[in-house]
Amino acid sequence: MSHAAATAAEPLMQPSAKAGADTKAPVRIAVKGLNFYYGQFHGLKDINLNFHDRQVTALIGPSGCGKSTLLRTFNRIYSLYPEQRAEGEILLDGVNILDSKVDLNDLRARVGMVFQKPTPFPMSIYDNVAFGIRLYEKLPKSELDDRVEASLRKAALWDEVKDKLKQSGMGLSGGQQQRLCIARTVAQRPEVILFDEPTSALDPISTGRIEELIEQLRDEFTIAIVTHNMQQAARISQFTAFMYLGELIEFSQTEKMFMNPTERRTQDYITGRFG
Amino acid sequence: MDAINTLAAPPLVQSRVRPGRRRADAILRGFCAFATLLGIIVLGSILLMLIVEGVRGFTPTLLTQPTPGPGSEGGGIANAVLGSLILTTIGIVIATPVGVMAGTFLAEYGRTSKLAVLIRFLNDILLSAPSILIGLFVYTLMVRPMGSYSGWAGGIALAIIATPVIVRTTEDMLSLVPGTLREAGAALGAPPSMVIMKVSWRAASAGIVTGIILALARIAGETAPLLFTALNNNSWFSPDLMGGVPNLPVMIYQFALSPYANWQQLAWAGALLITMTILALSVIARLVIKPQRAR
Repeated sequence: MSHAAATAAEPLMQPSAKAGADTKAPVRIAVKGLNFYYGQFHGLKDINLNFHDRQVTALIGPSGCGKSTLLRTFNRIYSLYPEQRAEGEILLDGVNILDSKVDLNDLRARVGMVFQKPTPFPMSIYDNVAFGIRLYEKLPKSELDDRVEASLRKAALWDEVKDKLKQSGMGLSGGQQQRLCIARTVAQRPEVILFDEPTSALDPISTGRIEELIEQLRDEFTIAIVTHNMQQAARISQFTAFMYLGELIEFSQTEKMFMNPTERRTQDYITGRFG
Repeated sequence: MDAINTLAAPPLVQSRVRPGRRRADAILRGFCAFATLLGIIVLGSILLMLIVEGVRGFTPTLLTQPTPGPGSEGGGIANAVLGSLILTTIGIVIATPVGVMAGTFLAEYGRTSKLAVLIRFLNDILLSAPSILIGLFVYTLMVRPMGSYSGWAGGIALAIIATPVIVRTTEDMLSLVPGTLREAGAALGAPPSMVIMKVSWRAASAGIVTGIILALARIAGETAPLLFTALNNNSWFSPDLMGGVPNLPVMIYQFALSPYANWQQLAWAGALLITMTILALSVIARLVIKPQRAR
């Protein structure tokens, strides 16, 4: 079966994000010649790519392709592990965050992250959301209350928890916990939010809510999301990057990527031939 | 299961398990059951004897009067109880911060560094060191230079015994805190110290407290380290920790070996009291962990 025949026979996924890609949006994060190493292992190979302001960029690819590794360079969370290192440039608003002079805590306050498994802290719902705010700002009680409420509203969780803010965040359901983590991240007013497979531990209904939420958050934040789920990438992203074995194979507007990929390997992955 | 098997395969008259294996299984099972029974019987008879002999010593004056002089009647063990309380308090108050901090270093900062590996190794040795050795160590370091047995020396000897227990449990409990929780803290821009204090410690708090309680139970009954340090003191407790301090374990040791019947009776009562205290501490330790698991 020839390549052309395959394209004709099997329609690729329909991108369905409510908003199309804004290719004129300014570049928020520019990755230039990025290489990443786990000890001796070369995890990312010469990655070059741009993340646009207030757009959702999805990182897709088979397990072990480096998509999470790439995401974890943007807030340098990898530096918790001494054997991991990155080389090259990642410009956040023009400043290279791989520079050793960059204040990591400051960077992480600007670039928030939501993880695969919900990670509520063992404290009350209120304290979970206030955690990040209290690190950097001394607010009077009433203002803090407002910030917590606003953050929980943005995470579409307020109505469910407004009467039990003093209860432990661990007592919430998985989907609620994940939205709590989103509220906690949003509360810090970051510029960029990184999502590392945020729905892979959740049921379909919770997944739907998180996806809706990401669409809404796009109005305010630049978003990068790693996902195993190609339908999810098609549903919520404006740009998609396809990675394979530590390399960036293809990067384009999501619509183009799913309708008409230029690379054979992208097409094979999207149509489920491997991965 | 059996019905399905007989339908699918020829009747299981001839088992495919070799007869030798069945016999081995039966023998092993028998040994295990016997060993368990033996352990329970020994423990049970110790407790039974302790209760029977000890309860007789539970007189109204047990906790109100000090130990009687040789040949005199009545008396209690109030001074020894109070002294033990003070010595274990000194021990745990010193051991807790040192142990929790060292355990935190091993689990959070040191992890696999050479220093951490060395400390972990030494801590394991200290954990299993004979307690009389600790007593001799403190004797050489404190009692000899200062010229007298003292409560401080006893408390410090107990602290040295409790510390490795707390180091170990703290490290183990912190290691159980998922790494993603620390990453989540770091991802919010929290420096490591904040992540440890606000996230890791909180998540592991029940386990750490349990470790402290178990260390308390451990030192409450230690005798050997006190023989060379606090020794004993038959007088009513004086607030002077620079001198010998009466305490339950050494009191039991001395009174049990004495020729006086009432002293022996008091030793039984003291032994029962200590055992019940340790039992109570262990139960509390379990209760502390429980709500955490239920959640």
